[in-house]
Amino acid sequence: MRRPGLGTRITALFALGALGLSAALAGATYQLTRSRLLAERERTAVRAAYSDAAAVQAGLAVPEPSLVDVLRSLDTGVTRQPVIRWDGKWYARTADEGLTGAIPASLRRTAEGGTPGVQRTRSDTGPVLVVGVPLRTAGATYYELNDLSELERTLDSLALTLGLVAVATAGAGAGLGWWASRRVLAPLASVTQAATSISAGNLSTRLDPAKEPDLASLTSAFNKMVDELSARMDRDRRFSADVSHELRSPLQTLSTAAAVLERRRHTLDPRSGAALGLLTGEVERFQQLVTDLLELARGDRPAELAPADLAVLVRQVCEERGVPADCPASLVADVDGRRLRQVLVNLLDNAERHAGGAVAVRLGQSPGCIHVEVDDAGAGVPVDERALIFDRFGRGRASGVRGSGEGTGLGLALVAQHVAAHGGRVVVGDRPGGGARFRVELPA
Amino acid sequence: MSSVLVVEDDDRIRLSLVLALEDEGYACEGVPTAEHALQRQRDAPADTVLVDLTLPGMDGYDLIRELRRSGDVPIVVVSARDDTHDIVAALEAGADDYLVKPVAVKELAARLRALRRRGRGPAPGAPAQLRVGPLELRPLAGEVLLDGRPVALTRTEFRLLCELAEQLGQVLSRQQLLSRVWEYDFGDERLVDVHVGRLRRKIERDPGDPQHLVTVRGLGYKLQR
Repeated sequence: MRRPGLGTRITALFALGALGLSAALAGATYQLTRSRLLAERERTAVRAAYSDAAAVQAGLAVPEPSLVDVLRSLDTGVTRQPVIRWDGKWYARTADEGLTGAIPASLRRTAEGGTPGVQRTRSDTGPVLVVGVPLRTAGATYYELNDLSELERTLDSLALTLGLVAVATAGAGAGLGWWASRRVLAPLASVTQAATSISAGNLSTRLDPAKEPDLASLTSAFNKMVDELSARMDRDRRFSADVSHELRSPLQTLSTAAAVLERRRHTLDPRSGAALGLLTGEVERFQQLVTDLLELARGDRPAELAPADLAVLVRQVCEERGVPADCPASLVADVDGRRLRQVLVNLLDNAERHAGGAVAVRLGQSPGCIHVEVDDAGAGVPVDERALIFDRFGRGRASGVRGSGEGTGLGLALVAQHVAAHGGRVVVGDRPGGGARFRVELPA
Repeated sequence: MSSVLVVEDDDRIRLSLVLALEDEGYACEGVPTAEHALQRQRDAPADTVLVDLTLPGMDGYDLIRELRRSGDVPIVVVSARDDTHDIVAALEAGADDYLVKPVAVKELAARLRALRRRGRGPAPGAPAQLRVGPLELRPLAGEVLLDGRPVALTRTEFRLLCELAEQLGQVLSRQQLLSRVWEYDFGDERLVDVHVGRLRRKIERDPGDPQHLVTVRGLGYKLQR
């Protein structure tokens, strides 16, 4: 799985952090509030139960006490339910089984054992707080049930509010994280942009150190790197230009002087004529070698793409060489016409040199790909040499001994380099019916 | 006999070129510097000048500009430099053609012949007069008028304009123009682009927004009314 981006991770981290923090705060707030409210309520309930128990005690102290009157005389409001246990019987204002059933057995044991007690429990109508007070009259115990529904509703709405606040805080944290990551990554975007621009060939691109003070060291290191890179490329370029000049100049004299001699070949004796033939041939080959080498040396330059009709280019080259071409009427694409022309010429040269000439050239297009195929009817290229022949001076075994028509050994390397500069590839395979098929594929 | 002036600081190259061009039937003279060349062109102008770009003192670009200032003598650059930057700069300065060393004598002779033919007037059957917007072409007289005033064109610019005018409203590809104007089987398309730019500066009211000599992207150039 792909690792999520830095921006996403920062956002997620902020959101999680905010959620954790707000959840902890909300939890603590809820617990504190709940226990304080309950304690408060318990105190109030106990105080009320004791005063009610005192009134009941007073009512029981008279001879022939009427428990119904005693219970009626208690001022308990709607939230408190008085219950009296006397002589093994239950007395309450209403004949409600649920009321007495709600009194926990453990509390009854405590209270009837002579110790007052308080316990929270759940009745049929909701949560209740039961207070048990033993009375002085033998066999009598006073219980009071306090309705906690309202307190529970208050606590529920508090929990809901706190939960919503926690979620909102997490959302705000995520927003803050998103904003922060954008802020943090913004300077990196300018670095990325600069690097892209430089790799596209704009070596004058630099980062502005004043723009991002936080990244001062990165900026200066980056700029220094680009300075050194461009200085080095400058040196290489100058060297290449010097080499080019120093090689081309004597070659001009050599080839021109050889042409002057060649014109007078008929005046030379046969031995001199033969020697001149050798000289002229080698000068031509050397000239081609230098041209190819210089072309290879600067082959890493990007292709100069411009829209051109490949069908016209292929037809024209094939016509010059007398090779049948199978082309669509027109195929316009963004290419470096000069370099693609050299690709085709070199492939045709290669076929001529090693396989008796090309027998067919095809230009075609499939979705996303333009292809040019050059077929010959020679011996083909052995499988283990198919990658090797595109290396510099990487002649295959099949090319045999160095003959008079020997090339520079750079033709196919140039083909590979030009095709690569277009983002394409060149492969060699078998032609059905014998021979080799060179296939150039270019992205459309 | 047609004459050629070879401006080349390398003695050996200069001498070999002079020998070879004399073999090709030209009256040829070689000089080592731009200053000599300008002096020579003032005293006895040659029909064509071959210029090397790397020269001591005044360089090849300035020599081309200086020669252009005083006329439309055909200029062919023969240089070891093959950077786009150098080629475009030399053509912008006013060169008619650009050859990269080492150039074969046969090729050089073919380029010089093509250059001579270019100066020989229009093809038979060309219209005597043609109006394109504010432009008036008179191929027979070798004249071009913009808003009634004559425009000074080199023979390559003039020929380029005539080829486009003959196919008025039709697109000509760069390779078609290279073949018709420069007589190349396959040539450097920068020759066409720079010459079109030079031509626009002379015949368009706003060269940055050409109305008549327009680029047709992916196809070439056309002249329109």
